[in-house]
Amino acid sequence: MMPISTNAEAIQNKPILLFDDECGVCRRIAHWVQNSAGSISGETSIIVRPVGEDPDALRTLNPGLEIWDAYATIHVLMPDGSMRLGGEAIAEVLRNLPNTKWFAWSFAISIFGFQPFQMMLNVAYVILADVRPIFGCESCGTPNFWVRPFVWMIKGVKSIFGESSRPNLTPHFTSLSPPRRRSPPGL
Amino acid sequence: MMNQTLDRPQRTSRGRTPKDNIRTVNSSTFQPLVLEGKGPIVVEFMSYSCSHCGAMELVLQQVAETVKSKEKFFRVNTAMEPELAGNFKIQGTPTLIMFLNGREVGRVEGPSPTISSVLTAVTQPFES
Repeated sequence: MMPISTNAEAIQNKPILLFDDECGVCRRIAHWVQNSAGSISGETSIIVRPVGEDPDALRTLNPGLEIWDAYATIHVLMPDGSMRLGGEAIAEVLRNLPNTKWFAWSFAISIFGFQPFQMMLNVAYVILADVRPIFGCESCGTPNFWVRPFVWMIKGVKSIFGESSRPNLTPHFTSLSPPRRRSPPGL
Repeated sequence: MMNQTLDRPQRTSRGRTPKDNIRTVNSSTFQPLVLEGKGPIVVEFMSYSCSHCGAMELVLQQVAETVKSKEKFFRVNTAMEPELAGNFKIQGTPTLIMFLNGREVGRVEGPSPTISSVLTAVTQPFES
């Protein structure tokens, strides 16, 4: 398990993206953010960290941060001590990446108090969070009811092609997997 | 049997119970607190990255509060303590093991995350 660094200087100056390192989809996205955030000088515009397994280490990053909450929703910890969650966290990440900041300003557009692009991003985040089990996220728990038929279908197709998966003993049980490298390279 | 209202754990604004009724133990504190502990003890083998454990957390906190005069509750983080999990042949999380005077008297894997089922799971082994 990768420990969470508490590099004070970095924490003060850069937003920190926390991701679920048990979820394959989240790892791939974090890897992409990590690669996109780098510049020629080697500095990164955003720090990418796995949530990890130590609640106290997370509280050193932000005293108001509960580890269960960090796993439930994507979090970006801001240098001013505030936190962005869900779709707002995604917008914050896009605002900090050199390749995406040119369009990320659109999420702040407000029309009569509504932020249409931010609202669309919020919905997109909720859908992405729900469909992660389709892409093989074993740590995401019981899929939402509307996703279950797709998960069953994919498991059926995999079993036809000989890729068997060990069934869980109960619906509320996560089988222990062998230890593996969980963090994107370079983190 | 608990009614439906009691079966739903109460949440705070950020979704978690305000007080931690479950103490975390590790490989060095497991022996004195659990194996040498007196009376009924419940140990939850869990992992923070396991979403089923997240669903169980609120329920277990309320159950621990309900039976705190009779039973002690501890948690073991299997990601931090893989050897301890291996010693007890933990297949997955959450797994509840009930100890009476240091001896395992019951085990439940992946209980349904409702107060009534968890309450039954953690009290029944001590009644027989």
